[in-house]
Amino acid sequence: MIDANNASRLIDICAATILVTAFLIVSSRSLMFYVRLFALQSLLLGIVALLVVVGYGESHILIAAVLTILVKGIAIPLVLNRIIKKIEVQKEIAPSINIPLSLLICGALVVVASSVAEPILTAQHQTTQTVSKVLPSSIAMMLIGLFIMMTRKKGVTQIIGLLTMENGLFLAGLSITYGMPLIVEVGIFFDIMVAAMILGVFVFRINQTFETINIDELRSLRH
Amino acid sequence: MNLAIFLLLIGFPLGASIACIFIGKRWLFQTTTIAGALFTAATAGYLTVQVFCKTSVSAQGGFFYADALSAFVIMIVAVSALVVAIYSVGYLDRQVADGKIDPKLLRLYFILLNLFLFTMLLVLVSNNLGIMWIGIEATTLATAFLVAFYDRESSLEAAWKYVIICSVGITLALFGIILTYYSALSVVHTTANALNWTALMSVAPKLDPSILKLAFVFILIGFGTKVGLAPMHTWKPDAYAEAPAPVTALMAAGLVNVALYALIRFTILVNKAVGTSFAPTLLMIFGLFSMGVALPFILVQKDVKRLLAYSSIEHVGIIAFALGLGTPLGYLGALLHMVNNAIVKLVMFLAVGNIRLAFNSKIIRRITGAIKVVPATATLFIVGMFAMTGWPPFGMFVSELTVATAGFSSGNVVPTILFLGIVAVVFVGFMWYVSEMVFGEPPATARAGEPSIVSIVVLSGLLLISIVLGTVMPGSLVDFFYKIVTVLKG
Repeated sequence: MIDANNASRLIDICAATILVTAFLIVSSRSLMFYVRLFALQSLLLGIVALLVVVGYGESHILIAAVLTILVKGIAIPLVLNRIIKKIEVQKEIAPSINIPLSLLICGALVVVASSVAEPILTAQHQTTQTVSKVLPSSIAMMLIGLFIMMTRKKGVTQIIGLLTMENGLFLAGLSITYGMPLIVEVGIFFDIMVAAMILGVFVFRINQTFETINIDELRSLRH
Repeated sequence: MNLAIFLLLIGFPLGASIACIFIGKRWLFQTTTIAGALFTAATAGYLTVQVFCKTSVSAQGGFFYADALSAFVIMIVAVSALVVAIYSVGYLDRQVADGKIDPKLLRLYFILLNLFLFTMLLVLVSNNLGIMWIGIEATTLATAFLVAFYDRESSLEAAWKYVIICSVGITLALFGIILTYYSALSVVHTTANALNWTALMSVAPKLDPSILKLAFVFILIGFGTKVGLAPMHTWKPDAYAEAPAPVTALMAAGLVNVALYALIRFTILVNKAVGTSFAPTLLMIFGLFSMGVALPFILVQKDVKRLLAYSSIEHVGIIAFALGLGTPLGYLGALLHMVNNAIVKLVMFLAVGNIRLAFNSKIIRRITGAIKVVPATATLFIVGMFAMTGWPPFGMFVSELTVATAGFSSGNVVPTILFLGIVAVVFVGFMWYVSEMVFGEPPATARAGEPSIVSIVVLSGLLLISIVLGTVMPGSLVDFFYKIVTVLKG
């Protein structure tokens, strides 16, 4: 049986790997890779949640953990893959900031994240929870997700950026509060799933009307 | 008994939405929508009376909760939704007849409109901050296809921008909620209640101030995006311009106040936990900045719906500014401004809807001589403009006067002078636009005759309410406003 000690060590490893997937997304040029890396990231996140269930006995997030694996790890990536195949977009991504510089910026974001996380953790008195060690990684993921949305302007990459942000948020919730109450967690999940579906439909329809899903080229509305 | 009120309140719009999925006949799902909105408004009225007598109503172990503040916003939303439901029927029928909308899509519109109302009410009756968040994100999702309803290139673009920007904002707000939950967990020991606003309020002084400050920054940016405060406002002109006129009206009159409501709830909590200097200062800065950002876009604008969207940004700026004054008089001004802004935005956006049907355009330059084409609508449009820019005898005059008085009496002289200056310049701008649109010779393509008599009656009624709020406010209403101010004081 996995006790809290082992679980916490495994969680650390998973969280580090999750952060690595975020960096790999930033360094990737192919849409397919974006989707696969996101799937991997979500699977690992689901595993983290399961470890919290097993190691700390927080059974209320079991459903959220299973949903993460099924929906974010499997269903959403499958749908995104279909969209990419169907609309046969140009699969190369041209980021507005080149990849080496992007990676440097993301490295800096990790530093920012740990300096933001520091006061949050020290402010509260009982920071003996070992899970809270992953808070810096989760904030870093939120920032990197935002960075992806700002610099990668294809429809699918924006969706991945948003979902990466949300994965970071879920990890943050796990790390400092062992997850939100069940009804809230499930509701949030439902919202995110619907949002991803709606955005997927929009990518599809935008592609049909203007034969591009490069958000940079959507410029008909200006003031 | 209390539970029944809450369930009916959110059940009517949800039921109407589901019913519309299964009803095939056009007149039947239109009637269902209006009936649903009517019953919702009646329930909202009943709830308000209950709250007025008992200060607060809760049910299901504090899962549902309503005090004077919730009842106030519920009333605004429910009445706006009723007006919009009635208006939508005539407006969309006309557009279908003109071949602008595929008749098959009509049902989707009513399904989503009811769902939109449901999600807004869900925010307003929830005590749990997590459910509140879920409701706000759901409003974005319910309106996404309504913004993209016309399926043009520009409307898809606007909807994309709307969903992306609001989702990012709301994600940041969720981080703020997680932080609040985190700080609550060490004080509230039953995790089930730790996200309830009432539970948090009862332990507010014990919450960690530095974490709550950080949480408030995230909440302000997150819900501020949905409110439309600058610099997170950029989705608003696009979405308002592209959505069908009645949807825009409900977004400007209802959704804005729902998002403000969530922001106010947090402000009350943070004020109680960290003292009344932190949150109000931020609100005042964002408020003034929003007014300042909206001003140039109001003065140089080609599209009348975008013009009104920037006016909405200006007015939420005024409300945030008033909240930021942090005095009871400032709170009163903010509350009055919330209801006045809702009334005026309904009148203006729906009048523009009528004008659009007649001129087949929303470009200001192409609309001339409206008074000859649609005389009643054009008159309402002029009167609405005066109401919107804060002239007596309309309600907005009173609310802006209250805000200015509160500003001067709380010692914020320079910001208040800035606020008054912006309001004055905006008035000049609007005078110019309205005279361009209303007077002169109409183009030959304009279609003379009022599109709908019902809409004229409804809009006149709204302006009448605005006059009542600006002149002879009944005593019980004044009492009610004081009750809400008490809630805001924490």
